[in-house]
Amino acid sequence: MESPLKKAANSSRRAFLKTALGVLAAEQALPAVGEAGGSPASPRNRETRLFALPQFLRPDPFGGIVPADRSAAPAAVAFEKNNSLSLECARGSYASFHLIVQTAVPGEYKLDLHLGDRAGKIEIDVFCEWFHPLRSGEYYPDALVPASLPYRSQTPDPDNKTPGQTAQAFWIDIWVPPDAIPGEYSGRATLESGGQSRRLEVRLRVHPAVVPAEDVVAMDHNSYDDSWIAAQFPARRRATAGNFFESDELFRLIHSYHRIFYEHHGVFHQLGYGHAGRVTPKFAPALEGERSRKRIADWNLYDRHYGPLLDGSAFAQTRRGARPIPFTYLPINPEWPASWLWWGEPGYEAEFVNVVGEMEQHFREKSWTGTNFEMFFNHKKRYMGFSWDGDEVRFPRDLSYFKEYGRLLKKVLPAGTPVRFVFRADVSWDMEQQFRELNGIVTMWTCAGGILSWYKGAPKMLRERGDTVWYYGGPPEVTQPSSAITELALRAWVWDAMGFVHWLAVSPGKDPWFNFTGGGTTLVYSGERFGLVDPIPSVRLKIQRNAVQELTLLDSYKSRHGLEKLKSEATQRFNSSTPDAWWNPRPALADKPPYEWTNSEMEAAGEPTRKLFASLDAAAWSRVRQYVMQLARKTL
Amino acid sequence: MTENPGNASEQVEQELDHIARVAAVMIDGDACRRIVTPRALEYMFKIDPQDRFLAGDNYDVNDAEYNTVKKTLIRLSRLAPFACDVNLWMPIPGHPDKIQVVIRNAHELSQFWVFGALYQDLFPPMKTVLETGQRVTVKQTPGMISVLAPVYDSLGSVAGLVEVVAHSSPSAHEEKM
Repeated sequence: MESPLKKAANSSRRAFLKTALGVLAAEQALPAVGEAGGSPASPRNRETRLFALPQFLRPDPFGGIVPADRSAAPAAVAFEKNNSLSLECARGSYASFHLIVQTAVPGEYKLDLHLGDRAGKIEIDVFCEWFHPLRSGEYYPDALVPASLPYRSQTPDPDNKTPGQTAQAFWIDIWVPPDAIPGEYSGRATLESGGQSRRLEVRLRVHPAVVPAEDVVAMDHNSYDDSWIAAQFPARRRATAGNFFESDELFRLIHSYHRIFYEHHGVFHQLGYGHAGRVTPKFAPALEGERSRKRIADWNLYDRHYGPLLDGSAFAQTRRGARPIPFTYLPINPEWPASWLWWGEPGYEAEFVNVVGEMEQHFREKSWTGTNFEMFFNHKKRYMGFSWDGDEVRFPRDLSYFKEYGRLLKKVLPAGTPVRFVFRADVSWDMEQQFRELNGIVTMWTCAGGILSWYKGAPKMLRERGDTVWYYGGPPEVTQPSSAITELALRAWVWDAMGFVHWLAVSPGKDPWFNFTGGGTTLVYSGERFGLVDPIPSVRLKIQRNAVQELTLLDSYKSRHGLEKLKSEATQRFNSSTPDAWWNPRPALADKPPYEWTNSEMEAAGEPTRKLFASLDAAAWSRVRQYVMQLARKTL
Repeated sequence: MTENPGNASEQVEQELDHIARVAAVMIDGDACRRIVTPRALEYMFKIDPQDRFLAGDNYDVNDAEYNTVKKTLIRLSRLAPFACDVNLWMPIPGHPDKIQVVIRNAHELSQFWVFGALYQDLFPPMKTVLETGQRVTVKQTPGMISVLAPVYDSLGSVAGLVEVVAHSSPSAHEEKM
């Protein structure tokens, strides 16, 4: 058996060689990058050019690459050569890249792009990349504004108003459906500006392999309530007669948010109640009566909100096809449907059982059986609504409340019901104890990633007993390397977790367009300032989607290559690591009661993995993708 | 009981004042003092630049006292024929210029609480209640009315106060942004 020390030494040597070779390649190959040669990392003197960058190298508005991705520029040496761009992908997935227009002088331009496909299966989506100014003075592209071809505009972009802008970037998505014909496709991008024309040949190799329809990890995007929709779509609110919050227009927008995440291989959650139990009406059926006479009086708002999501019809026009949302929060909280007034008394059980029982019956009658309905408690004592923590329990006596709710839920559900009620708990400090004590009660775990990293094998153990296990964190800000968002999906897979939750993914800040705060709480934007009536995606969301589809394809090879082998290859390529290195040792503090842990102790316990990812480079996922494509090439 | 029946603001105020009077008699100030644990109070004002959630992460309550008082608050709120909350506010030992909301309720109404705040600067109307035992009506937030009333302990001292709060008119019930 190879010693850990030797493994580490080899790993370091490989990393050194990789770095050295990368620098060497960069020095030799720089003239080949871009139409007229030159490094994509540093803008050249202004000239008219049309060039492409791989998705992991985000462009800046001056013909260069954003600082966070710049060091990975050498990895792009083979991406574009001799005015020709080579792409490859499996079927049922996207091939994506940045297409950049640079003009010699400020002025108008026309961009076009075609790809020959006699079968008419392959589709091209074009998005204009918005350059967000940061307080640092840097510009990062993130929001993607849908554009149609041929596209006409000018530099500097009159809307983006970036001083000195010489280059406009476009995110190109080439959608290759599962029934596309494998083989070589070719096309061309063209630019006309100031009497000059430029062209870039595009070659796409479509492998026979098909990305499975089911994602290997669920990338979840969380949100709270729906007031933010009104704030981000003020014109839609003004244009809506009556109460916007109960209007068809609001439901259309909610469904649109679900669609954009679904199309990007993600899940969308909206929590419909507050920390003291206030339920927003459309997230729950209306109730009447109390105690033994409490019952559901009206499903109207709930069904308008959830019906198309739960029967899948909200997704009928999507590329992924109609299917029910896989997960959704229930409105159940300590104050709904039963009033906390009766807690510990027969009246609480009566109200809970009556109403939740009616819900189960309604869902069953509607055949809403494709969704996991989550009983989830989000409240914390610090928000003064209740006497116990539903979210992130730290004080073990709070677990008694979970046990009682588990009993109540079991009492409600008829044996063999096809409706999927799950008891979800979001756990951090106390997760190790909860895994034990709430076995058979909680069936869906959303775990703090830092603490879960101490418990190697826990996700596998939970999966094996039939539970769902996700971990949570937040979207990386745009100033992190482009690959940072791919680490989240990869980590879930390496850990045997089934998903990741972006705790807040729809909050871009008051003015993301001209006063951007980094995007750490959003992966989508309102399209309203562009005259659109729907949310629009981001570069980070696209990169995440592509990573998920490629990870799903990679996982599909486990029967042939073995899961552990695939994990080893992926982690090695991602950051010269091993799957074991993605875990931290269980620290001594884990033997103390969680309420005695200090932040500094917890920080120290996460130090090994923090160091491992501190120097992540933008090309990390690209190397994994190359491996996946290597496997796909071998698949007949 | 979720709809304000359309009473004039004065009628809403009268109802709230009535509840506040009853609350001053019904709520057990000694039990209120036992809700927040000594540990939570110890951490409440600790500052650690490396741990900005130190106080919140260590916030804890004695649930028996909490639930007993909360149930009384809920019962009081049900005296109103419209959506109403009765919130408990308590002074903090050793910090006479501060106040904290200790129990909020289902409609999540308050003219004073700021989301996430464990404690806040003592509001002048609350100071008046704590010092004089008088009920005070507050209409500082458009569309809302609060009546503040004292909570007494077994020795007759003012232990804290309740905020009896509701929307002043039905139009204010549209969901807020």
